[in-house]
Amino acid sequence: MTDCFMRFFKKIKIKIKIIIVLFISLLLVIGNTFTLSNERKIIINDVVISKNSDLYNLSFNQEIKLDYLIREAINKAIPLVFKLTLKVVKLNEIFPAKTIKKEVRYYEIEYKTLRKIYRIIDINEQRHEYKKMDEAIQKMLKIEGLEFSFVDEGMDYELWVNVSLERKKLPKPLQVNFFNQTWSINSGDSIHKIGTLD
Amino acid sequence: MKYIITIVAFIGIALLILLAKAISNSELISGDSFRILLGLNILFICSLIGLIAVQIFRLLQSVKKEITGSRLTLRLVLSFALMGIIPVLIVYLVSVNFLTKSIESWFDVKVESALEGGLTLGQKTIDILMSDIELKGKSIAYSIGNSDPEQRDSLLTDLRAKFGIQDAVIFDQDSIIIGVSSDKNDLIPPIPNIEDLERGQQGFFGRIEEVKGDQIYLKTFTPIISKSAMSKRLILQLTQPIPPSITNLALSVESVYDEYQQLTYSRNSLKIIYILTLTLVVLLALLSSVAASFVISRKFSAPLAMLADATKQISKGNYKKIITYQGKDEIGILVSSFNSMTLQLGQATRNSEKNRERVEVARTFLETILAHLTTGVIVLDDKKIIQLNNISASLMLINKKVTMKNKPMNEIMATNLLFKPMYDFVESYIDNNKSNKKEASREFKLDKDKQERTIMLQITPLIDNKGKSYVLVIDDISEVTQSQRHSAWGEVARRLAHEIKNPLTPIQLSAERIQHKFKDKLSKEDSNILERSTNTIVNQVNALKIMVNEFAEYARPPKIQKDIIRIDTLIEEVIDLYEIDNIINIKKDNNIPIIYADQNKLRQVIINLLENSQDALKEIKKPKIKIFIKKKVNEVQVVVEDNGSGIPDEIIGRIFEPYVTSKKTGTGLGLAVVYKIIEEHEGRIKIDRIKNSGTRVTIMLKIGKK
Repeated sequence: MTDCFMRFFKKIKIKIKIIIVLFISLLLVIGNTFTLSNERKIIINDVVISKNSDLYNLSFNQEIKLDYLIREAINKAIPLVFKLTLKVVKLNEIFPAKTIKKEVRYYEIEYKTLRKIYRIIDINEQRHEYKKMDEAIQKMLKIEGLEFSFVDEGMDYELWVNVSLERKKLPKPLQVNFFNQTWSINSGDSIHKIGTLD
Repeated sequence: MKYIITIVAFIGIALLILLAKAISNSELISGDSFRILLGLNILFICSLIGLIAVQIFRLLQSVKKEITGSRLTLRLVLSFALMGIIPVLIVYLVSVNFLTKSIESWFDVKVESALEGGLTLGQKTIDILMSDIELKGKSIAYSIGNSDPEQRDSLLTDLRAKFGIQDAVIFDQDSIIIGVSSDKNDLIPPIPNIEDLERGQQGFFGRIEEVKGDQIYLKTFTPIISKSAMSKRLILQLTQPIPPSITNLALSVESVYDEYQQLTYSRNSLKIIYILTLTLVVLLALLSSVAASFVISRKFSAPLAMLADATKQISKGNYKKIITYQGKDEIGILVSSFNSMTLQLGQATRNSEKNRERVEVARTFLETILAHLTTGVIVLDDKKIIQLNNISASLMLINKKVTMKNKPMNEIMATNLLFKPMYDFVESYIDNNKSNKKEASREFKLDKDKQERTIMLQITPLIDNKGKSYVLVIDDISEVTQSQRHSAWGEVARRLAHEIKNPLTPIQLSAERIQHKFKDKLSKEDSNILERSTNTIVNQVNALKIMVNEFAEYARPPKIQKDIIRIDTLIEEVIDLYEIDNIINIKKDNNIPIIYADQNKLRQVIINLLENSQDALKEIKKPKIKIFIKKKVNEVQVVVEDNGSGIPDEIIGRIFEPYVTSKKTGTGLGLAVVYKIIEEHEGRIKIDRIKNSGTRVTIMLKIGKK
């Protein structure tokens, strides 16, 4: 295939070559512009997974790099909704890994201008209000008591934890401004073995 | 390619519509579909740019190769593109400016201040209400702390009712409800928030609580300080709703303020996305119009290119080129007219070609006639420049078979003194011919090659659309005049013979009778005189008889009796009669053909020629006569040469006329008779001087046929 392309490329005229190279470069630039950046602005650490009977309990801390733009957005009453995705993946030596459980939770931080408080709605939809933003953020970053279960067949499993800013919940102009990467906040998948917890 | 461009243009329009709908549809804009649509649009724009680049490249290649119609197409494409680009760019720039200004105008300082004022007003109102409840809570807490535990419930109810509080609940430090009072009978106190209770134990703490989003409650926690040191620490929780009128207004202001803040924050993004969309729309429209301009330009230029191509073909002489364009517009009419014109032109050209061929045939025919004419023909213009001449004219004037076209007449005629009189006549005629007088002619006697030639020059004016020209007809009429002279001489000879011959015999007889009768009657001396005189008369009469007979022979009517003869045999027989055959040398070709002629007359010819040669050779030391008999095409040539004294130049031109002779005793009728006999046999005779000395007579006789 490559040989064929190279032969074709050698045969065509220099002007056509320039046009093809320019066209491909343009496509690459556009594609790169429209691809969401997966820069990891959330770091998941202190992950604790405990098991009680068939019920698993997950706790972890997060470190989020919230720059001044995001802080300003919070103060401008823009609610930030984070999406927490849990996936339990069954491992297999022969076949590709298979997701056997997927659970999505949301938590958010919002500034209430009338009352001048920062309100946190946690993964269990419990509301917490704080006078200071940092306090609210600290509360929001600590995830505790996330319970989940799945049918354990005694195999090796992995728990994939992913936290991202839910861009769809942002105001419309911020959603469609693909060129602004401020709102591309993602932790990437934090993977943990859960097969041998017993 | 035009189908591709049409399809691409349709796709572009569809994408434009989808993009416009997506902008106005919040569901679409928030989803991935908008991103995909945007990507598709950009991809499509890139494809359009590529397509247009290819089209431009091809068009420029066509222009470089000078393909018919490519320059017109390029011009039309540029015109269409400029017609599209310039107004769209203006609209685009104005729209961007307008859009930016419009978005900025949303965020007025006054509006922001007003919203902040409204929000602050709501906050202050709530603060006042909160302070009021704080005071009431502290007052109730103080009263309950100083009262007996047994009176606590009734006091709580009384004070709650007195202060107009909706709910009042007393918790202990373990969150156990100690007392409850409410203006609602069905109050089930909610479990308090541990954080609230903890903060409430440390001092007054109040917060605002939203319920179901449209109702705001003020909730305060006030520690109850009991007078008994041993009693548990209690916390008074008061819950008081803010009046709905205030709540609605405050929430409304908060909502608007929040939206305004969000918009303020995202206005740059808003500008970017609107400008991006507008740019995409403009680009799509522009590029689609440019792409479409190629199709339209080609459609416009195609029939014109066909016309140009057909014109080229016609200029090369191809009148069969028909354009197949079937449009009903003006170009269609033009093409139809062009086709009609081409057909007519083709027909006219074919007719013209036929006419030209006819003219060419006529011209060739005329040239052939002129070339074969023994008469010289020259056409002069009014400046006496030769426009046309035939070969005979060239031979006559310059003795060469070359054309004299475009040469001045004076260069040809005036430089040769021989023709000077002729040129003077022509010049005089042309210079004095301003009144278009009729033709003129004149005879000229010229001594050409030491022979007198009679030239008749006739000049005729011609007037045509090219101007005035003159036709000179130059005719050598020497033979005609000679023939006329021979005829005249023949008539003279016949009359002489008739008038002289008759009295000769009586004269001779009378002389002889006188001699016979008086010879014996006279003295000897007188008799001798008489005898000499009568002899002289008789001799002279005999001489006159011979002369008259020769005249009679010359003047006899042309009556010959032809028969089949062999000329070589005839010549040999005649030579045998002469005793001079030792000086005669005959050379003849083999198989000399027979001729059809009068044997006696030809014998007379040979005899006359031989006698002339014999006379010319009398004083020559080594006399020689050569006779050549040769076979020619359709003719037999007989040449008689001698090395005698020859014929003087002065008379050689008229040697065949009677009484023209170089001999002292000759009658001058021998060669005249020869000429007459040869002429009667439709033959030709020519006499020349041989270079050093001698004469050559050449006779041509036709091969015999009855």
